[in-house]
Amino acid sequence: MTQKEYWRWDEKCWKDESMDSSDTKIISVGIDIGSVSSEAVICLDGKFYASNTVRTGSNSPTSAKDALKPLLEHAEISYEAVDFIVGTGYGRVNIPFQDKAVTEIACHGRGANYMVGPSLRTILDMGGQDCKAIHIDERGKVTNFLMNDKCAAGTGRGMETIADLLKVPITEIGDRSFQINAPAEPISNVCVVFAKSEAMAMVKSGKTLNEVLASYCKAMADRVTQLLDRIGMEKEFFITGGISKNRGVTERIEENLGIKAVKPKDERLDAQTAGALGAALFGFVLASKKGSKKDTRKGQIL
Amino acid sequence: MGDGYLHGIKEDIAGDGLFDQFFEWYDDRNSYAKKWKERTGGKVVGSLCTYTPEEVLTAANCLTVRLLGFHEPQDVTEPYLFAMFCPFSRDTLAQGLKGKLDHLDGVVMAHSCLHLRQTYNVMKHKLPVEFAWYLPIPNNVKDKYAKEFMASEIERFKESVEEWREFKIDENRLEDAITLMDKNRHLLRTVYEYRKDDNPHLTGMEALAMVTASELVDKHDANREIEKILKYLPSRKIKTDSKVGSRLIVIGSEDDDMSFAHMVEHEDATVVIDEHCTGTRWFWKEIGPEHDNLSQERRIGDRYCSRPACPTKDYAMDDGTRLRFLHILKLCGDYNVDGALLIQQKFCDPHEGDMVPLKEFLSEHDIPSLQLEFDVTLPLGQFKTRVEAFLETIGEEDLF
Repeated sequence: MTQKEYWRWDEKCWKDESMDSSDTKIISVGIDIGSVSSEAVICLDGKFYASNTVRTGSNSPTSAKDALKPLLEHAEISYEAVDFIVGTGYGRVNIPFQDKAVTEIACHGRGANYMVGPSLRTILDMGGQDCKAIHIDERGKVTNFLMNDKCAAGTGRGMETIADLLKVPITEIGDRSFQINAPAEPISNVCVVFAKSEAMAMVKSGKTLNEVLASYCKAMADRVTQLLDRIGMEKEFFITGGISKNRGVTERIEENLGIKAVKPKDERLDAQTAGALGAALFGFVLASKKGSKKDTRKGQIL
Repeated sequence: MGDGYLHGIKEDIAGDGLFDQFFEWYDDRNSYAKKWKERTGGKVVGSLCTYTPEEVLTAANCLTVRLLGFHEPQDVTEPYLFAMFCPFSRDTLAQGLKGKLDHLDGVVMAHSCLHLRQTYNVMKHKLPVEFAWYLPIPNNVKDKYAKEFMASEIERFKESVEEWREFKIDENRLEDAITLMDKNRHLLRTVYEYRKDDNPHLTGMEALAMVTASELVDKHDANREIEKILKYLPSRKIKTDSKVGSRLIVIGSEDDDMSFAHMVEHEDATVVIDEHCTGTRWFWKEIGPEHDNLSQERRIGDRYCSRPACPTKDYAMDDGTRLRFLHILKLCGDYNVDGALLIQQKFCDPHEGDMVPLKEFLSEHDIPSLQLEFDVTLPLGQFKTRVEAFLETIGEEDLF
């Protein structure tokens, strides 16, 4: 019998059916190899076309391939037709078929700018194993950033740990964290391991699972709010990364800050793919300015 | 095979070998000191701070070696140092407790921070040293009584060294030592002048090796090697011009982590100047010739009070001015700096206290900065992302 994986989130391959790739001048791809999830995005002449999100595997080259290959098939675009590939994320240096690596900080800045528009100034990227507060200008160029330090608290991995511990599907945590009768009790926000111990103690003391989830979501929100306090909040504000889908955390961050996070202009856009989207947009610009790299990639097999 | 302080990184350093001797001394510092003792019959004294007046020790036929860490995890300092003492004080003490500094005959701590004072106190008792001296240094080196106080403490230090060495340090010996130290400072400054050029002639890593090694070896040896380098430096280029990339200043305490320097310059960036104590803060001012009938101790003391101050000594002037900040700003201008890397040892209170106002000060002068907190070992992967992202913020217009 296979054990249920409560941490597992939806892997999704998607394309914009209203677009046609046949008369595209530049096809660019962005691949974001994160510590927990990997995303690939295809842009047609600098417009978002298709994306794929998968679980990051044991190594970056395989994860990049697992993200890109099904996406190209789904989008009916051949690997040889891709003009420029930009890699990002912590695994960016190990993507064998990329033409350039750019940090995820720059890519999230540009991707979020595309999703929201030029008025966006502050981004909170809540990733698998780290968390970043980013300031950008009207072009999506990073002007300042802060990363959390040596700690998995406030990250997706921490949320997965709690999902598994409490045997609650990760996709339900956000909603269930609001199904409580009393305010969430404080819990450690400095260490996932301590938080895990405290969560178990709360369960044993008779708290409901929803109350424990509320406490953990609040702890995570409080933790990342500190990061935003340090860098300073400039409107508009947007949350990217996997945790952006967990309203138990995002709404508590909004409450802490006293402002609402904006949503993507196109509701079909997934904030988890912002990094890969930014990478693909950089790829489009680089291909426009420096020319396609597909000839230099000849012979490389995806 | 050296003592291993380079952690094998030497193989990754591409170049023409011009700075190889300095890398070798950096790597093989303890073996060098032992051989120096055999060769000269002198004594080796470990120094825990750049405020140690090396002139006095040099005049007493002692080799002053700067005590630094090894950048590896250790488990020997817990009984002696409080958990929130900085990793540098811990790593340096570990070198002594592990027996790597058994060749030291003496250890000197010039008063600066409390964490290193504790390292000194433990070394004094646990290392097989004949001589140990805690040298009081004025907290506020710009105070009107500071130079006089410093001179009197140098006099006491000299007397103590004389008693240990069992001979008098006469004026000629001390003047020779002053001249030797000043020559080293002058030569290092001359090399640094080349870093102002568009192509800075040497990498930040080479500069780090040169200055740190100069803190570890006989100044006669160091000076000879720097003079050799200076013959080749004017026509030397470190990288193609486009690869020089962003010009950076590194600001901090003791920033002798070669792995970090190597990682930064592997990107399209070059460290062109520094403001830390394994760099300019150690050598940036000469004592100069005799003048105004000042005693030698007073001249030496004046130099240590007038050199760019460490954050522990840089008190705000009456009008709130921080002279260290102004010095940093001048360096940024002189060396055409694009951005600043602020390196802070974890738990280093003096530098931590400076970080917020310094970042604001740099920002007010349009110098972007990135703060990194260092530990004994470095999370190079995380730091790489931060440094790359920082470089993207000050460059990479191609992406837009």
